[in-house]
Amino acid sequence: MSHSTQYYSARRQQNWGRNQNTTRYVSNVKLGPVAHTVLVALMITVLGLIYLTQATRATSYDYEIDRVDSKISELAAQKENLEIENARLTSLSTVKNSTVAAGMTTPSQTSYTQ
Amino acid sequence: MKLELQQDSRSRILMGLLLFVMIVYVGRLFYLQVIRHDYYVAQADGEQLKSRIIPAKRGVIYALDGNKPVPLAMNQTVYTVFADPQIIKNDEAVAKVVNEIAGGNVRNNFEKLLAKKKTRYQIIATKLTHTQAEKLKAKNLLGIGFHEETQRVYPEGMLASQALGFVNAEGNGNYGVEAALNDRLRGTDGQLRTVTDVRDVPLTIGDQNIHIPAKDGDNIVLSIDRNIQSYAEDALKRGLDKAGASQGSVLVMNPNNGQILAMANYPSYDPAEFWKVQDAAVFNNAIISAPYEPASVIKTFTLATGIDKGVITPQSTYYNTDKIRVEDITVENTFKGLTGTISMQDVLNNSLNTGTVTVAQRLGDGANINRQARDTMYDYFYNRFGLGHSTGVELANESAGLVISPDDSSGEGNAVRYSNMTFGQGLNVTMVQVAAGFSSVINGGNYYQPTVIAGTLAADGKSVDKHEAKIVRQSISGSTSGAMRGMLTSARQSVAYMRDADKPGYTIGGKTGTAETLKSGVYIKSETVGTYLGFGGKDAPEYVIMVQVAAPNRNLEGGLHASPIFTDVSNWMIEYLSIPPKG
Repeated sequence: MSHSTQYYSARRQQNWGRNQNTTRYVSNVKLGPVAHTVLVALMITVLGLIYLTQATRATSYDYEIDRVDSKISELAAQKENLEIENARLTSLSTVKNSTVAAGMTTPSQTSYTQ
Repeated sequence: MKLELQQDSRSRILMGLLLFVMIVYVGRLFYLQVIRHDYYVAQADGEQLKSRIIPAKRGVIYALDGNKPVPLAMNQTVYTVFADPQIIKNDEAVAKVVNEIAGGNVRNNFEKLLAKKKTRYQIIATKLTHTQAEKLKAKNLLGIGFHEETQRVYPEGMLASQALGFVNAEGNGNYGVEAALNDRLRGTDGQLRTVTDVRDVPLTIGDQNIHIPAKDGDNIVLSIDRNIQSYAEDALKRGLDKAGASQGSVLVMNPNNGQILAMANYPSYDPAEFWKVQDAAVFNNAIISAPYEPASVIKTFTLATGIDKGVITPQSTYYNTDKIRVEDITVENTFKGLTGTISMQDVLNNSLNTGTVTVAQRLGDGANINRQARDTMYDYFYNRFGLGHSTGVELANESAGLVISPDDSSGEGNAVRYSNMTFGQGLNVTMVQVAAGFSSVINGGNYYQPTVIAGTLAADGKSVDKHEAKIVRQSISGSTSGAMRGMLTSARQSVAYMRDADKPGYTIGGKTGTAETLKSGVYIKSETVGTYLGFGGKDAPEYVIMVQVAAPNRNLEGGLHASPIFTDVSNWMIEYLSIPPKG
């Protein structure tokens, strides 16, 4: 009676067998549950800090916007006042009472170019 | 073994305690965050979310200076200063600073208001300029606050005030363009809803922020030319003083597009101080809101109707006896003595009532102002010349006036009334109706929609997006219009003092009107209103001027009192428009 032996090996082992460059890395550092908890807490803290930084930055932009808006309002009010002053200075009553107008005379006759 | 059991028992107790505390916390948090969620969100929103109206700027109203827009009504931000007397400790120091900066704007005896320590709010100064308010704010006075508001300012003073109207304390337009175009001028307020910090600075955080920008009102450019308006106002005042009249109006129109170039009334008011006006009647623009019997200027319309219907020509004749019978009344001429066979041109030159009654008779069967004559006259007066109903000019409080229809159920539209209407009695019309109808009589027959709007201010802030002229209808034929221009020119030329006062080399025509006033249903001869209605230009008419003068218990005539004002404005218009003379 002939006897034959069959060798079964895992598929990965078969692959390793074909590719000799593949290596398996196993870290020597082992993290326990406390370390994991601390790491997660640190990550949450960092994320919170990032959020806070961004929120604060957004708020600082809001103050900047408010400052610029106030400046715009200030300048708009100044422009408005200057336009009114300009309109008053060029109004008919001002022009009529000006020294320039006082020095003007009515022409004796008018000529028209055809 | 006993010891292990004891330890286990303490741990369990501790665990139980912690569990209980945790349950209490979780329960409390669940209550606050889930069950009372809406309540606390609303409370937080109430404190953090601020909603405010962004007020739209009222549109500026411009007049024209030639083709250039110039502001008539502008907006200025002003400040009201209020005080909280309970917070202010040193009244004298505060009063000194406020007096120094806002001296002309403080309320009388405002120092006494500061002394009212039981009150929390006292207005101590009003209408401070931006500069004054900034100076006062810089002093950081404790217990002093500011309200910002906008008011209208009028760089041209009282110019065209009755055409403009005014804006009341609630920001609504009253009278004139301000009221008629209030919706366009006021714009649409915007809204800002945002989370704010303790200083009310808007923050972009939150998902409920709303920012709807305000839509400012239209900047409207009137067709009123400030130079013409100013001259018309001055000429009116001069003319009224000379005539001894106490009230009057001048309307200047462009007959070729319906634009109103000036509308001057006396007396007038200052729109910047409208609250000081004692008699509210002065707010009314008499040109559009005071219908009256314009008397003989209406003869222009009667003759135009007769010529257009082909029943007369300027040379047509009739036999004048200075009186004419219409049913149970006798109509007489004011100017008598021109008896015999005379022409329609003579009728216009001498303003003969018998002539225009004759035209009305010829519109009928030749002897009576029958229904056909009355229907024809009504069609021309009411439908074609636009008398007796609102013109739709963009000014508030326009009166319709009244032209009684032949269909009038009370029988008022009878032959007697229509005989009177031929010479301007028995109907009520406004100056703008008459001038718009007259423009169509002399411009070739086109009735233009009368308007005070030239357009809106263009985006460059210097030019005008023009409002197109609108021809509403053809009131008479071009040939009738030509005939009427000739008749009106001859009528003016026939009066020496008018002819001699006109600039030579121009086509100037017109018609006088002297109306007895109607009081308690009776015509009063001791009080008459003078009117002059005319046009001018080189060959074609370039302007229409209508003048009215009146005074209680005074006889004012169209020729002697209104016509000189027309002449004054007409001669100036020729210079202003640089119209070269003929030849």
